Amino acid sequence: MGDVIAILEQRNGTLKRVCNETLTAARALADELSGEVYALVIGPPGVSVDGLGEYGADRVLVCADSALELYQGTRYAQIAAALAGKHESEAVVLAATAFGKDLGPRIAAKLGCPFAGDVTSISAGDGIVVTRPAFSGKATFRLKIVAQRCVISIRPNAVTPVAVAKGGVVEQVTPGEGDVVGATTVAVKEPERMALDVAEASVVVAGGRGLKEPEHFRLIEELAAVLDGAVGASRAVVDAGWRPHSEQVGQTGKTVSPNLYIAIGLSGAIQHLAGMRTSKVIVAINRDKDAPIFKVADYGLVGDLFEIVPRLTEEVKKVRGS
Amino acid sequence: MKIAVCVKRVPDTETRIKVGADGKSIDESGVKFVLNPFDEYAVEEALKLKEQSSGEVVVVSVGSDASQETIRTALAMGADRGVLLKAETRPLDPLATAQVLAAELRQGGYDIILFGKQAIDDYSHAVGTMVAELMGLPSVSAITTLEIGDLKGTAEREVEGAVEVVEFSLPVVLTAEKGLNEPRYPALRGIMLAKKKPLEVKEVELDLGGIEVLELALPASRKEGRIVGEGAEAVPALVDALKNEAKVL
Amino acid sequence: MSKQVVVPAIFQEALPRDQLILDGELDEERIDVDVLFVGGGPAGLAGAVALAQLVRQGNEAGEGLGDVTIGVLEKAGALGEHSLSGAVLNPGPFRELFPDLADSDFPFRTPVAKETIHLLSAKGSTRLPTPPTMRNHGNFVVSICEVVRWLGDKAEELGVDIFAGFPAGALRVAGTRVVGVRTVASGLERDGNPGPNYMPPTDIAAKVTALAEGSRGLLSQVYAEWQGIGSANPQVFALGVKELWETRQPLDRVIHTMGWPLQKDAFGGSFMYPLEPNLIALGLVVGLDYRSAELDVHELLQIMKLHPSFRPYLEGGEMVEWGAKTIPEGGYHAIPARRCGDGVVILGDSAGFVDVPSLKGIHYAMQSGILAARAIYKALKNGDVSQGALAEYDRLVDESYILRDLYRTRNMRPAFKHGFYSGAVRAGLMALTKGRFPGRRIEMEADARVPRRVETPKGFTPDGELTFSKVDAVFKSGNVTRDTIPSHLVVGGDVSADVAEFYARMCPAGVYERLADELQVNAPNCVDCKATDVLGPRWQPREGGSGPVYRRM
Repeated sequence: MGDVIAILEQRNGTLKRVCNETLTAARALADELSGEVYALVIGPPGVSVDGLGEYGADRVLVCADSALELYQGTRYAQIAAALAGKHESEAVVLAATAFGKDLGPRIAAKLGCPFAGDVTSISAGDGIVVTRPAFSGKATFRLKIVAQRCVISIRPNAVTPVAVAKGGVVEQVTPGEGDVVGATTVAVKEPERMALDVAEASVVVAGGRGLKEPEHFRLIEELAAVLDGAVGASRAVVDAGWRPHSEQVGQTGKTVSPNLYIAIGLSGAIQHLAGMRTSKVIVAINRDKDAPIFKVADYGLVGDLFEIVPRLTEEVKKVRGS
Repeated sequence: MKIAVCVKRVPDTETRIKVGADGKSIDESGVKFVLNPFDEYAVEEALKLKEQSSGEVVVVSVGSDASQETIRTALAMGADRGVLLKAETRPLDPLATAQVLAAELRQGGYDIILFGKQAIDDYSHAVGTMVAELMGLPSVSAITTLEIGDLKGTAEREVEGAVEVVEFSLPVVLTAEKGLNEPRYPALRGIMLAKKKPLEVKEVELDLGGIEVLELALPASRKEGRIVGEGAEAVPALVDALKNEAKVL
Repeated sequence: MSKQVVVPAIFQEALPRDQLILDGELDEERIDVDVLFVGGGPAGLAGAVALAQLVRQGNEAGEGLGDVTIGVLEKAGALGEHSLSGAVLNPGPFRELFPDLADSDFPFRTPVAKETIHLLSAKGSTRLPTPPTMRNHGNFVVSICEVVRWLGDKAEELGVDIFAGFPAGALRVAGTRVVGVRTVASGLERDGNPGPNYMPPTDIAAKVTALAEGSRGLLSQVYAEWQGIGSANPQVFALGVKELWETRQPLDRVIHTMGWPLQKDAFGGSFMYPLEPNLIALGLVVGLDYRSAELDVHELLQIMKLHPSFRPYLEGGEMVEWGAKTIPEGGYHAIPARRCGDGVVILGDSAGFVDVPSLKGIHYAMQSGILAARAIYKALKNGDVSQGALAEYDRLVDESYILRDLYRTRNMRPAFKHGFYSGAVRAGLMALTKGRFPGRRIEMEADARVPRRVETPKGFTPDGELTFSKVDAVFKSGNVTRDTIPSHLVVGGDVSADVAEFYARMCPAGVYERLADELQVNAPNCVDCKATDVLGPRWQPREGGSGPVYRRM
């Protein structure tokens, strides 16, 4: 009892960086529940699971099958739910990435237990308590789990990975017989130049209408590149067709909380602010010193973005290069 | 083709949120409610599929009587009839909502069940896939493209930096992501017709679920920021602050 | 001192009558109703409710018309979202429309318990005796948004079809008879071409069209012009800018002020009303015949809030909503000679039923709707909707308290045309003589014909706490206009730098900016207050749902 299963996401046979966050959260929760952390990796044979013990996994369950190389929602959920049942774990945690957002609710449905998605903190004193954003980050729920078991997905970047050495004993598990599933992921198309997703990136550089023309987003892309960050966009420029909707930050777009959010030429409509205000550090660059974005910014720079941004790109290059 | 679209009444995206007297929910006074934006994509997709192959589009919602207005909006867009699963309170646990929806949808004989990928209020991103699992149906969440063929189909969903291509057989549950289509506005004629379309109200009892709300709070206001300077000359000061003060570079 | 003047009328385009009045066959895809109310405000909704009640009563008595379809067309995305008023309401028409309901059933906030009037100077305040016209005992503080939404619910319960999000863009006529309206297309791209969501205009045919468009109604204007319907004085307008504040300091009374921060040659005043003790409506209303081209109502309101009469209430509070709207102030002598025609009647603010001395219009608007409903019902019963039959509406209004009240105060607003103090003395005499002084009509000029002195603005920087820029203000109006919509404002030719500056100061929503010496038009900012249509570029309806989203204005 009190055990926590951390489901780790792999792509192309490699575990994602966000897995350390998931393990860290699982470790902290398991410590409070006096339980163990089971890291569960579902994927093709040959996924490297070395070092998972360093981030707090007591045991590493590897479920390898070539049919599981690509993410298969229902199959993955069957496997995870069966293991959660077998180990009588109290919580199943995973990252609230596209993978976790799809898989978490499936597992909860199979286990018949509550699901808390996109949480920003977990604690366990008198029962498990989580905080999670609602109303697109305009408010936060503090929730108590009142069930024997639950599934929780954790917002990327909400947890800082902490190394805690544990056994990390690897154990192979078999996928078992699943029900016939009518949906199969047959391919993952990756764009030629892998654009970092705005919801997952630890740095987001976002542009708005102040850029005047879609071509000028080049400035945003260049700054994002030197920061290893993702490009974000305001609703206005997405609606105008300058940028794809996948880059939109805000209530009907994505809610992000990177370590660094740089808003450029973006006045800060409330729905955009709602989507980014949980970022750890916010920088605003705008011509209009009265723009609402400055009210949430930690650091503001007033002036012409066409002069400031190229200079900023240069300066960041220098700092990062040294 | 028989298509169900599950929709939710939510506060408008532009609404300013105020915490109610109970400290656990929003103060609804002065709040405008709308059809959840992601559900609009689901309704539009259902209407497009119907236009291609004929059939019926049924709009289903769980909520109070006020949700009838939300259902009517979808009917004005072109859906054929509505079902309100009437419940005065709805627990935050998405499983509770998924259970009553699954119970209703099971009886419907639907070929396709569409949802928005998430409601912008609870923000759970869960009910659609939960319904699929409860019903034992294949499902794809947060789809951005959809093609339906003879008893099968293909959808794409965006994952971080890539696109998954998923093939499925019917019946299927699909949840819609922004970009799937451009939802239509209700036309005048549609609004007029919507008033005469059938809307069945069924009382339901929701399970309490396993999540108790302790508190709904507004985010703590951020520490006062500062203007580092004006123009390109201030860039080094900004970079210095980010590196040495905020330690994010 | 500069002797430069701007006369706004010189730069204004005429109404495009050929686009606004369309003769010929109605569209095949048209919608048919029996009676169409254009505008879902207090006038149109009270009219729709009253008519639906008459139809129901008639049918129940077995002498009815059977099924009568009543439609209400509203340009806002939902009822109430474009409605803005002070407001202190006289509940009379509510009691008349809903005799079975009690005052506590109506969407009223608080009864007026205490009220005071003050004459402000830059630092001080002198309490004045309350003039008889401004006594509000028995009236209620309301949010017009809430009033309108409530009336809309009642109308829908009675089977009225409410079409929100559909502005009327043109009158459909057959000869001189109004046979309906055409809605505005939506989903156009900035270049005017249809976008992916394009929805063409729809014709709505009606036996009777009731124009209840509110202040500076477009179709009401063009109809009067087309039919050559005059008025003794031209209609004149005021612009009100209003904010809603959640405050820490409670307010227990209705407060009106005059004087500062207005110059002596501008007419206007402020109001501060408690919707709840800690929810305060605050606004400044200024006649659009002001003489200085640099006068800026939004900015004056910001400056006014810093006065010791207001500041203590607002400090530590939060401005939660902002909006602006014009008010027809011409009164009795500016009312169109007839408010009816073949197949058409004109209601409420569109007809100029506003009494400035008592600062009231809502109950007149509702009453005009109720009276129109009676006339329309009778006309439908007799199968005659000609001007002659609908003249019953004019007769009912003329005999009602609407015209009686407006006649009594007919010269009060005009008395102020030369400035505040001489106006105050004359208005005082009028009140004492119950309107008999001075007897004759004081002539007024249309606002756009009043010359404006070109002056340099002093400059004001908002602090973002108590005072706000126009950009912040528009944000608080909830404006959701699509950015890629075509401009709905028709700018006249040869706009000089001085005129651009005048427009920028005149518009409370920052639609106009003077960039160098050029006029920049930020059309999506527009909150449909119509001041621009009075003094600047002509306003046209945009796609439905554009503009502000007022919740508790």
